[in-house]
Amino acid sequence: MKEWNLILKQEWKKVTVMAVAALVLAASIIMQGYLFVSIVDDVFINGAGLSAVMAPLFYLLAVLWLRTGVSTVISRAGVRLASRAKREMRYRLLHKIASGSTRDAAQTEAGRRVSIFMDSIEETDSYFSGYVPQVIQSLIVPFFLFVTIALTHLNSALIILATSPFIPLFYIIIGLKTKEKSEEKVGELNALSGKFLDILQGLTTLKLFLKANDQKETIRSSSLRFREATMEVLKTAFVSSLMLELISMLSIGLIALEIALQLIIFENMNFFTAFFILILAPEFYNFLKQLGFAFHTGRTSMGAAAKVYEEINKPEDEVMWGEEKLVLSRPPHIILRQATYSYEEDGFELGPVTVDLSPGKSLAIAGRTGSGKSTLLHILSGLLPISREMIEVEGRSLYSYQEKEWMNHISYISQHPYIFSGTLRENVVIGAHGDPSEKEVSEAIQKAGLHELVQKLDSGMETSVGEGGRGLSGGEKQRLALARAFLKNPYVILLDEPTTGLDLETERILGESLEELSEQATMITVAHRLHTIREADEILFLENGRVAGQGSHEELLRDVDEYRRMTTVSQGGEAQ
Amino acid sequence: MNELKIVLGLVAREKRDIWLSIVFGVIAGLTTVGLFGASGYLISKAALTPPLYTLIIVIAMVKLFGFMRALGRYAERLFSHRATFTILSHIRLRFFELLEPGVPKIFQKYRSGDLLSRVIGDVESLQNFFLRVYYPPIVLGIVFLSTIVFTTFFSWVLALLFFVGLVMVGGVIPFLTALRQRRSQQSVREGRGLLSVKLTEWMYGFRDLKIYQKQEEKEKDVKNSMEAYEETHEHQQLQMVQGQSLNLLVSLTATWVVVGVSVWLIEAGELDGIFLAMFIMISLMVFEDAGPMASVPVYFEDNRHAAKRLFSLPVAQTAEKRPVQLDTEEPLAFSLDGVFYSFPESPAPVLQNITLNFPPGSKTAIVGPSGSGKSTIQQLLLSMAEVDAGDITVHGENMAEVDEESLWKRVNIILQENHFFHGTIGDNLAIAKEDADDQEMGEVLARVQLAHLSPEDAVEERGMNLSGGEKQRLALARIYLKKARTWILDEPFSSVDALTEKELMDNFREETRDDTVILISHNLQGLEKMDEIIVMNQGEVVETGSYEELISRDGYFHRMKQLENTLIG
Repeated sequence: MKEWNLILKQEWKKVTVMAVAALVLAASIIMQGYLFVSIVDDVFINGAGLSAVMAPLFYLLAVLWLRTGVSTVISRAGVRLASRAKREMRYRLLHKIASGSTRDAAQTEAGRRVSIFMDSIEETDSYFSGYVPQVIQSLIVPFFLFVTIALTHLNSALIILATSPFIPLFYIIIGLKTKEKSEEKVGELNALSGKFLDILQGLTTLKLFLKANDQKETIRSSSLRFREATMEVLKTAFVSSLMLELISMLSIGLIALEIALQLIIFENMNFFTAFFILILAPEFYNFLKQLGFAFHTGRTSMGAAAKVYEEINKPEDEVMWGEEKLVLSRPPHIILRQATYSYEEDGFELGPVTVDLSPGKSLAIAGRTGSGKSTLLHILSGLLPISREMIEVEGRSLYSYQEKEWMNHISYISQHPYIFSGTLRENVVIGAHGDPSEKEVSEAIQKAGLHELVQKLDSGMETSVGEGGRGLSGGEKQRLALARAFLKNPYVILLDEPTTGLDLETERILGESLEELSEQATMITVAHRLHTIREADEILFLENGRVAGQGSHEELLRDVDEYRRMTTVSQGGEAQ
Repeated sequence: MNELKIVLGLVAREKRDIWLSIVFGVIAGLTTVGLFGASGYLISKAALTPPLYTLIIVIAMVKLFGFMRALGRYAERLFSHRATFTILSHIRLRFFELLEPGVPKIFQKYRSGDLLSRVIGDVESLQNFFLRVYYPPIVLGIVFLSTIVFTTFFSWVLALLFFVGLVMVGGVIPFLTALRQRRSQQSVREGRGLLSVKLTEWMYGFRDLKIYQKQEEKEKDVKNSMEAYEETHEHQQLQMVQGQSLNLLVSLTATWVVVGVSVWLIEAGELDGIFLAMFIMISLMVFEDAGPMASVPVYFEDNRHAAKRLFSLPVAQTAEKRPVQLDTEEPLAFSLDGVFYSFPESPAPVLQNITLNFPPGSKTAIVGPSGSGKSTIQQLLLSMAEVDAGDITVHGENMAEVDEESLWKRVNIILQENHFFHGTIGDNLAIAKEDADDQEMGEVLARVQLAHLSPEDAVEERGMNLSGGEKQRLALARIYLKKARTWILDEPFSSVDALTEKELMDNFREETRDDTVILISHNLQGLEKMDEIIVMNQGEVVETGSYEELISRDGYFHRMKQLENTLIG
């Protein structure tokens, strides 16, 4: 059973409601036909007047309203079912994202995941609100219609029995053809439909090269080619509807012919039976046809659902935190033992790394881009899981503590701190334990060098920043991260040093602030400053994920060629 | 409303397909009604044992109607979908025509990423305009009216009944549903937008949120938005079901009234009993066709919003051509005098009182921290943005009067973000020079150290299959083909490693010997040979001078250089 159908099991009540309603629907359709026919029979054949058919007329009204009522019940149950199903999927996807570990790739994945969360899940709606109710109806209603027809006039039932298998058969054949066709075209369709966006995104470039005018023709031709390709796929779908129509038409025609012959030639059938059959037969085929149409929408939705569950079921490393408390009165003692980590996708491997970091010491991680520095920093911050025994804090595995017990003690300062849409104050206060006083906040602002900026702004700390708010420059963002750290007063500071160094003011503030913060904290830095490296108690020099050197600056200068080359020929000097 | 008029105008261009859709739609509709009406008549007639030949005629008609209906539907679908996709093409083009004159200025003001992905969605949603809003009501109206006309041959009363029914299911009920739905559709849209923003933020801030232990709190926030959105969505869907049910209720009740009135008419001798079954069938069918009318207003609302967002774009203020044409082949000179600039929605000035001079043939570098206003100077020099105050001249002409295209034609430009199109390397290079042959392309590729690429190599959307450094070098190759004599480049080498950068710079210097060069640089390497270096900080020029002057001055530049010297990795 497909996973998304488990939702149907969970929501069995709604499914039962639909099934019961479908039973009532079948009954009301039969009743409706019966009453129509008996009224016509009374009036037309027996010459009865209005007063004589008053009673059946009012029964008929009741039955028609009942039919409306149960159709509504089914549709409403479908809407509710879809809503529940989407919530369920969204919860699971959120949970999945929340429990996943952090890595640099997470950000590039964000767009894709947002689109799955918003769009793909939305697309599954019609599966639950349209396809499922239709399948239930099409399983139940035609069956009872068939039984009624069979009981009324066996020959018609036999005709139905002979012709109706063609409907699913045709659906399968043509469905496969459509699928083939659309798979064949999918690449072309994607490329063509992406062309418009591609041109819009590149419009600045095109304008600057004076090529924007030529693009009208490109847009037109790619749109029209898209039309042709789509029409080809659609045509097969339309042909399938055509075939269905013809089959049901033909069957109804056969039934009508047979009835007419019975009526006139053999005169062994009465008007009542004949009309009754003639009213029920189209209803029968209608439900089968609708199943076919629903199947089309259902398939797109199923594709979307498959995509959603593929994402939900992707294996991902999850940090399993424990229950211990971590009470500290000084920076913690951190040890890495033969720590390794690898990314499956690109085969990158980090480690083994062994480091013993006594309380309050500082560690600098150096190396070229892509050597694994950030990965190591993420491991040390507990955001990326490794084997339990590889990382130890205060004599126990890091993961034996509660997540918040550890996170409460650390700060992570990067060039790209998270700025959410809200006021500047809200963005700073996120760093605090509990509710900081006004004095604490303004102190943090002062120390982080944001004071001047705040004074310049009309609304001061209440200025909205982030999405839709005032943009912050690179330097300002870093200072904001510092302000958060000052409010938190962590025992461990993880620092991703800026890679460019042109903002002197921020550099100065960063230097002074970190000096103050590190007085009572362990500093772990991905270092891009010679100064930071020289001052570090221990340096880890990484090359392609491997530890190429470990020790003090002097030791590394002496022992590791690559390190010597890198630190003496820094970015500033000419690379010769 | 005006925006929807634009769409209507674009729809109207496809007259032929519209006519065909309507004609075949009407054929399919009428034959459906005819089919069932005839079969009702057939069965009644048969009950009276008439001569066989009349029956054969009716049977033949039933068959004919059956086939025509199936074929009519098929043709209707074909033509209406064809029309829809052609109309989409018109909509894209019209949008492009509106947007194009405003670019690049318009992108300075609005986040282009959001703008553009929204555009795509809106264009897609306008698919439904023709298909579900425009022509189905016309078809329904014609089918209904024909049925009414047909009915008048039998009974005026029944005809009137059909007419009342049409007004109800085709007008009154959809209208009422629309009124009720307006509010909830609006809140669904808003809820969806909010959810998307919250989710994106939560995902981007994941690491920091975890460390600040605010992750669960924010997750709850996302969940709440999600619940709120699903709630409103469900509510809206239920409203829609309600509208459809109401329509069904009225349709079936109308048929019921038709039956009652027919019986009364028959009793009164005004209608032959043989037609009773026929009118029941006709009524059932004609009202069944009206079912989709309930959702027309919903699509209409959606399309109205989509059209509004698409076509209410603030069009460029200066659409008219600027008078001054730059028609010199010489390297250009620029000057800025007391220039101020700030972003439209942000009070903080980006540039304050900037006065600079770039003589023809001069080599100038602009350096400074991120956010200091370097890139804005490039945009002003290229007339991609307009000053709040102050003057800019190019080649002695007032920038505000110079035709942009004549300026862009004479400048080699690299922006911080350069777009590469889906296609081949050659396609992307040909933007700069259409008639460049493979050999020429190969030469420039080699010159920017991209010899490993050939013009036939594929480029994915936005150059996704190229590294940052490759994209920068490809952008450089592109302008090498252009061969203008003025160069304004924004951090062209920031993703290239130091060694390659040096080689590229040497080559670049060679290439631009007598030209005007304005180079915004992310670092201070290789600036020794520049005539002048402009140091910017917080929107102001803090220092200018040659490399030697600045280094010996012991000012901002000198300290920047010192800091840079200590950078590693």
